[in-house]
Amino acid sequence: MSIGKGIRDGRHGGGEGGGLPEAGARGPASPIEFRLDPASGVPTYLQLVQQVEHALRLGYLKPGDQLPKVRDVVASLAINPNTVLKAYRELETKGLTAGRPGQGTFIEATLSQVALPELAGLRRSLLGWLATADVAGLDEDGIVALFTSVLRDFHERSGGLRGAAGGDTEGVA
Amino acid sequence: MTALTLPAQPRRDASPRPVPWRRMAWITWRQHRLAVAGVVAVLGAAGVYLYFAGEQLRHQGFISYGAGPVLSITAVLFQVIPPLIGAFVGAPVLARELESGTFRFTWTQGFGRARWTVATLAPLALAVTVAAGAFGFVFSWSYGPQINGNPILSPLAATTFDLHEVTLAAWTLVAFAIGAVAGIVIRRVVPAMFATLVAWSGLAVVTGAFLRRHYEAPLVTSNFNLPDGAWIESQRWAQDGKPVSLSTVDQVLQKIGATVAAPGHLGRAAAASGPSGQFGQSASAPAPAAGSVNPAQYLLHHGITQLATYQPASRFWPFQWIEGGWLLVLSLLLMAAAVWLVHRRAA
Amino acid sequence: MNIIEAAGLGKRYGSTWALRECTLAIPDGHVAALVGPNGAGKTTLLNLAVGLTAPTAGVVAVLGGTRPGSPDALDGIAFVAQDAPVYANLSVADMLHLTRNLNRHFDQGYAKARLGELGIPLTRKAGKLSGGQQAQLALTLALGRRPRLLLLDEPMASLDPLARHDFMATVMTAMADDGVSVVLSSHVLTELERVADYLVLLSGGSVQVAGEVDDLLASHRVLTGPAAEAGRYAERLGVVHARRGGAQAHLLVRTNGSTDPVPPGWESHPVSLEELTLAYLREPGAASLPGPARAERTEVSR
Repeated sequence: MSIGKGIRDGRHGGGEGGGLPEAGARGPASPIEFRLDPASGVPTYLQLVQQVEHALRLGYLKPGDQLPKVRDVVASLAINPNTVLKAYRELETKGLTAGRPGQGTFIEATLSQVALPELAGLRRSLLGWLATADVAGLDEDGIVALFTSVLRDFHERSGGLRGAAGGDTEGVA
Repeated sequence: MTALTLPAQPRRDASPRPVPWRRMAWITWRQHRLAVAGVVAVLGAAGVYLYFAGEQLRHQGFISYGAGPVLSITAVLFQVIPPLIGAFVGAPVLARELESGTFRFTWTQGFGRARWTVATLAPLALAVTVAAGAFGFVFSWSYGPQINGNPILSPLAATTFDLHEVTLAAWTLVAFAIGAVAGIVIRRVVPAMFATLVAWSGLAVVTGAFLRRHYEAPLVTSNFNLPDGAWIESQRWAQDGKPVSLSTVDQVLQKIGATVAAPGHLGRAAAASGPSGQFGQSASAPAPAAGSVNPAQYLLHHGITQLATYQPASRFWPFQWIEGGWLLVLSLLLMAAAVWLVHRRAA
Repeated sequence: MNIIEAAGLGKRYGSTWALRECTLAIPDGHVAALVGPNGAGKTTLLNLAVGLTAPTAGVVAVLGGTRPGSPDALDGIAFVAQDAPVYANLSVADMLHLTRNLNRHFDQGYAKARLGELGIPLTRKAGKLSGGQQAQLALTLALGRRPRLLLLDEPMASLDPLARHDFMATVMTAMADDGVSVVLSSHVLTELERVADYLVLLSGGSVQVAGEVDDLLASHRVLTGPAAEAGRYAERLGVVHARRGGAQAHLLVRTNGSTDPVPPGWESHPVSLEELTLAYLREPGAASLPGPARAERTEVSR
């Protein structure tokens, strides 16, 4: 999806915010830069949370790295500071970050990684399932819809996966 | 939801004193310097002209009776000074804020809009009053001798009375105050200026025509010749107890070569032979022509009497102060009304 | 503390009520969006809050109980009116000087730095600035006063998209730095969706919707299902607005916090702020207002 591309752009220095000073001008830069997708239907604070988690998964962020200062995020995206605070609080609740008074918010932990062999095994079984769905006549959108609906059911039944956000705000048609 | 209460709030700010008045000085000057400078320039130029005119009149060394009509024309021109100042300086003060929308900025600042109005009106009022007073002083100095020296002209006459120092200042102040009120009521600059002119003119006409003669009870006399410089309010001629018109009296006087030279004054008639006749001179001296008769006694002979109501010239200064006084009170009331209207509702 | 609190507030001009029976309690520390069509009463409400006009009915208090127009209220509230009025023939520096003289506190350093960042020359006459620059100037003057509440009346109406972004970035940064509360009005909701966390919807002079955006979004959903069944569920579900095709209907419902299960055969979707606002605007009789006392007035459209 588009989130990764955005963070990659940010990493290469093409940050948002036009003529406003780069975050780097104000001291140690955060490795990541946020971007918003206003058309995605996902609440702003959740987009920020997801971008941090995604950055963690992809290795842009490591424990000890600092998240962008609230003020800088607000200045470049023109969003409500309460939204940024809410996102950072959410990350703290999930145990991923911790705030250091007077300094900022820092990454504390990594997302639990699935071990590599397990990952390979999951990939294989998923490919098999996809082949079956394709043979049954499901197109890509159909596959995505089916998967999302089953995922939601799974959430509701199992009380949610580790650390996932509340089910009913992930708006998918 | 909780019911709305308005409890007494402990003062959050350690310094509850309001923004000091003197901060407004720069603001008022900066925003109105053109108007004030314009007034000073125009009055200054006119004052310089008057000064030289006055110097010239003094060097003549005699009373120029020709100053009569010329004086009247000049006086008419100068009469427009107070209402124009009121319209151009007074009306825009509040009207421009409202018309341009800047009141939404200025009247939501910490200074407060009622205080802002006071702090803007007061210095401007003072400035125009002083400028007008100075100009009136120059006028009095310049034309005073002409007015006082001519027995027919009265210093109390409406054409020149409000151009002297006290009254000119007062009439300018009231014009400014009218402008201020017009500005807040009408909320548009040009209509407020127009309304100022109209209202001031109305007030001036009413004062000159009706109000001024009542400042003090007028004197009544049956003397045919009134004192020099008297301001005549009315005169009635009667023959043998019956009212008779002025033209009848004039006809009677023609037989002895005299005329009613001016209201309240008898003098020699113009020579029947031609236009080179002399203007009726001071009636206190009888005509030097041979066999001349005192016109006053002649009239009495014929049973003609006169009752004239007039104000003596000596009342000039008391009248100046009376008029200046009530105009000042009116101005203060009007400006207070303007402040109150601003306070009550801005938008 | 409630940054703006109104009870039964009404304002009549002549024979027209521009605002009536307005009851609000906007908490501080938020960005409150005052939304509604033209003539809904947004400017009237702001004028009442800032003291430019006095109520015909009811009361309004600001900054936790202060009377609008009082010295404390004037001190703590900065107002940028529609079209950002400034004195056209004064230079920018003069406007700074003017604002400093008219207020107890004014951060001249901040204002000059900010104008420098924006590239607005101090010597230019304010009337010669572009629309975006004038708006930024007015905003800078307002923020320089370090207010506790910033009121903005349709601040972005005449700004291009970049100017709009810069304007909101300035406001939000000030909020992050100083904790100023913001109330801004607009008749274009989309630009406010990213920043507002409290919504007040005015329509025809009355408050139709008031509440935290999160609460509003959580308490409304769109149910999609067979049109034939829509009528059956209308009353029970608290439908605000219904849209029907031949076979399919979308019902925007207010769940009132209850966790009613979705009727079988129906799908439930979350709702966006814009959709919610439009739905209420189309149903003038519907309202969503906080507090148990208001429960009777909520729900139900025809």
